[in-house]
Amino acid sequence: MAEIECSDLGMTEEILAGYPAGEPALIQILQDVHHAYNYLPCDVLERVAEALDVPLAKVFSVSTFYKAFSLEPQGDTIVKVCTGTACHIRGAGQLVEELERQLGIGPGETTEDRSFTIKTVNCVGACAMAPVVIVGDKYWGSAKPTRVKKYLAKGADDEN
Amino acid sequence: MPTLKVNGRRVTVDGDATILDAARAAGVAVPTLCNFDGLEPWGGCRLCVVDMSQANWDDDWFKVVTACNHPVEDGMTVVTDSERIIETRRVILDLLLARCPDAPLVQELAREYGVEETSYTPNPEPDDCILCGLCTRVCDHIGVSAISSANRGWGREIAPPFHQPPPDCIGCLACAEICPTDCITYETSNTRREIWGKEFEMLRDPKTGEAVITKEQADHFAERSGVPITYFETSDASKRRQMASTFQKLQVVK
Amino acid sequence: MRIESRDRLETLRAQARESNASRAQQVLVCCGTGCLAWGSKKVAEAFASEIAKRSIDATVNLFVKTTGCHGFCERGPLVELQPSGILYTKVKPNRVEEIVEKTLIGGEVIKNLLYKEPVSGERIAQYDEIPFYKNQVRVAMRNIGRIDPTNILDAIAEGAYSGLAKALHEMTPDEVLDEVEISGQRGRGGAGFATARKWRSCKSAPGDRRFVLCNGDEGDPGAFKDRSIMEGDPHSVIEGMIIGAYALGAHEGWIYVRDEYPLAVVNLGIAIAEARKYGLLGENIMGSGFDFDIKISRGGGAFVCGESSALMRSLEGKTGEPRAKYVHSTEKGLFDLPTVLNNVETWAGIGAIIDRGGEWFASMGTERSKGTKAFSLVGKVKNTGLIELPMGTTLRHIIYDIGGGILNDRPFKAVQTGGPSGGCVPEELLDLPVDYEELTEAGSMMGSGGMIVMDDRTCMVDVARFFLAFLEEESCGKCTPCREGLHQMVQIYDRLIAGDGVEGDIELIERLAAAMKLGSLCELGKSAPNPVLSTLRYFRAEYEAHIVDKACPAGICRELTAYEIIEDECDGCHACFKACPVDAITGVVKELHVIHHDACISCGACFDVCPTNAIRTFPKVELKKAEVV
Repeated sequence: MAEIECSDLGMTEEILAGYPAGEPALIQILQDVHHAYNYLPCDVLERVAEALDVPLAKVFSVSTFYKAFSLEPQGDTIVKVCTGTACHIRGAGQLVEELERQLGIGPGETTEDRSFTIKTVNCVGACAMAPVVIVGDKYWGSAKPTRVKKYLAKGADDEN
Repeated sequence: MPTLKVNGRRVTVDGDATILDAARAAGVAVPTLCNFDGLEPWGGCRLCVVDMSQANWDDDWFKVVTACNHPVEDGMTVVTDSERIIETRRVILDLLLARCPDAPLVQELAREYGVEETSYTPNPEPDDCILCGLCTRVCDHIGVSAISSANRGWGREIAPPFHQPPPDCIGCLACAEICPTDCITYETSNTRREIWGKEFEMLRDPKTGEAVITKEQADHFAERSGVPITYFETSDASKRRQMASTFQKLQVVK
Repeated sequence: MRIESRDRLETLRAQARESNASRAQQVLVCCGTGCLAWGSKKVAEAFASEIAKRSIDATVNLFVKTTGCHGFCERGPLVELQPSGILYTKVKPNRVEEIVEKTLIGGEVIKNLLYKEPVSGERIAQYDEIPFYKNQVRVAMRNIGRIDPTNILDAIAEGAYSGLAKALHEMTPDEVLDEVEISGQRGRGGAGFATARKWRSCKSAPGDRRFVLCNGDEGDPGAFKDRSIMEGDPHSVIEGMIIGAYALGAHEGWIYVRDEYPLAVVNLGIAIAEARKYGLLGENIMGSGFDFDIKISRGGGAFVCGESSALMRSLEGKTGEPRAKYVHSTEKGLFDLPTVLNNVETWAGIGAIIDRGGEWFASMGTERSKGTKAFSLVGKVKNTGLIELPMGTTLRHIIYDIGGGILNDRPFKAVQTGGPSGGCVPEELLDLPVDYEELTEAGSMMGSGGMIVMDDRTCMVDVARFFLAFLEEESCGKCTPCREGLHQMVQIYDRLIAGDGVEGDIELIERLAAAMKLGSLCELGKSAPNPVLSTLRYFRAEYEAHIVDKACPAGICRELTAYEIIEDECDGCHACFKACPVDAITGVVKELHVIHHDACISCGACFDVCPTNAIRTFPKVELKKAEVV
């Protein structure tokens, strides 16, 4: 926590209102928080701990245990490379390398201008079209390193 | 009251006893790292593994279980020193030696099992934390939960929230005291205490002026017990003197 | 709207069937995650707009339905036409106009959109004549690809909830238990524990409150059958859970869906809402007096949460650390109350078992492994996709007759089953019938049904390392043997792969494997050594080559492999030049190309694209020897 966070807690209150108080709802709440803020800000987590009556240390433990959560702000576009078995043997490693070359960051890192974050994911269940790259919400099956530039450029509607 | 055999010695124990309890009753030593009497067993270090066979199993059918938390049953057979158990403990200690090569406790235990140097890749940035979880468990037990384990897998570590001074910590030092490798550092003096990066003011005994407890700890204990806070501010020595003078005034009726 | 009786369900079913039958034609566009990635949504939209353009009355004449996964993912986007049964493959939006014009209106088949048999070159029009589909027996996946998963009436038309109706109105809870026992169904998540036995042990646990849970955490990389069921036929899961809850006397249920499956969460949510609307969830289900409801819980991205006690901790809002195994979750599970946790595919089969009878299910499969099993067939095989077959089918039949054989006709090397807890099965065991015990005896595991086919361009040392690295990241870190053991295993394997292996490394690996198997707290750690042990069992020579010869026989490990272009085979097509990510190849079109070893990173991209097999691999040590000379 380099700076003191000052998040818009209004969104947090809305999220909290949708769940019963208590520890069981914690992970679902964190997912909604992550979706709303694009990461888990510490001041939001403090508020969640207070609202659920769960020790802050436990909230921190859960936030760092699950791979879905980041405590650092993520890029506007998240690029996920599936590194499951089928994707591995069909060349996922080469895709990761090409992304590293193009964006200058490695898996788990975010570009300086916060435009992209690269993540490796352990199997998205599209194994028959390995290897798979997901740019934002768009899935690219049978992905090729030579097409990475295209996937990043628009990340939107085109066919592979 | 179940009766069982540990390394051939027959022993009878309470119904809610664990295999570890039974081993102790039978005078058999089983090594442990994450176990602490008074805290719920955790079963994480795996050092206390033993071979166990239930009464209704085939005589030569054994299962490896942790002694610290496995319940006993009547007619159970336990073997704490079979070849595969010794070998498993040896590997566990060898692995811990790779993680914490400088911790005297780990070096000692490893040596007992014939491991002088680790067979594996030593931790490039070693510390003495063996991740036994005793610190966080005792903190939970006291009802504070100021620290916890962060991350998972090999990157797992014990930390205060966000690696900042933990807001809930009461400075009781229980975590540092319980740590088997003494890897939790703190500073304490007559005026201040510091642990996990958090500063505490010490409450001093009203009569003697010696530091007794942190204000946060006193508040916490007073709240949990309902006992007035002044009790916690008084040092043990002062309490003993008070008791002594009370007894002095008592008249013995013959 | 509420279905208050069995009769009402039957009436609705008849109405829905009538409605389907009344349409002259239907177009089923596959919208499973796989085909969606191929762009099938646009295909569905193109059909819709084409029909609107021609002012065809969609509800009567030509109805477009988006369905779940048809299974033949390699050939997506898939479009099936009813009632003709024609299957069009690799359909792009720009072919839709032609399909409507020529086939739907004109009755003509478009040959180049049909599936083509790889060996004979024959084009097959009928869906159920294609070997990939012909050989399947679909029970858990019975409705996937036929129904719109977001429309409960469509599911009801195909038989959803008739098993439930029978259970609630014709059977006692104990009779339901008996029927499941007769079926011999074993858990489809991997462990293969007898479903009825698990249910009975929960039923006999004291207490008023108990839970039924669905494990939708499908973490095995390479497996996606649960995703397809949750996305493509969520009602099969819901129906199974209601039946199970009725048998057990549970009134609350959860479906735990992994974070990486957003569409499954959406479709399950829609299905649950619809089921409630129709009185199939909530109070007084189908007028039977039985209450039960389901909630969805999303995972947070942790493979270990597929382990039952870790999953329950996650449902409780905690970190996914498994609990000691002597505590049975059927007695003390979620919130320390009796709980039954079953896999998605297990639940999906229950409705069919009750509807058609346990004996029907038990009539399929082998002595100890009854019924059918879903498999995701992926990797270096021609027809990748999702299939369901009777237990006892041989691996050879699956890989060659259904899978169409190895991609690019390269030699088969091994098939990996059971995910990171499983092992590799080599060629000599291809006639193994798929069965829980047979696979375990061979050193592998059924697991959740992932089958990853590997060819000669797969290094088995690298495969073992892959699984170890995967598990290292997923280990919760609570217990020493798993947390430290996996980390150290990866360190050892990294040395082998870099050419720094030494004599004694195999023994070091074996000792560590033994300790992990015995000492770990949960199955993640205990079964982590399986890929190691199975690759050592069948491919020990490869390990020795890495250690002694500093060579990778498969030509995969980069630090041990160099590439070169064979002069006589190169036709100068320039493909390798374009594929090389580090510009290590020089050459002019139509002339011999050259790989420069000092720049080459041995990634194999050139090898993969060369159309004339003009590139070969050789051990990098030979380069060094050449230099010395």
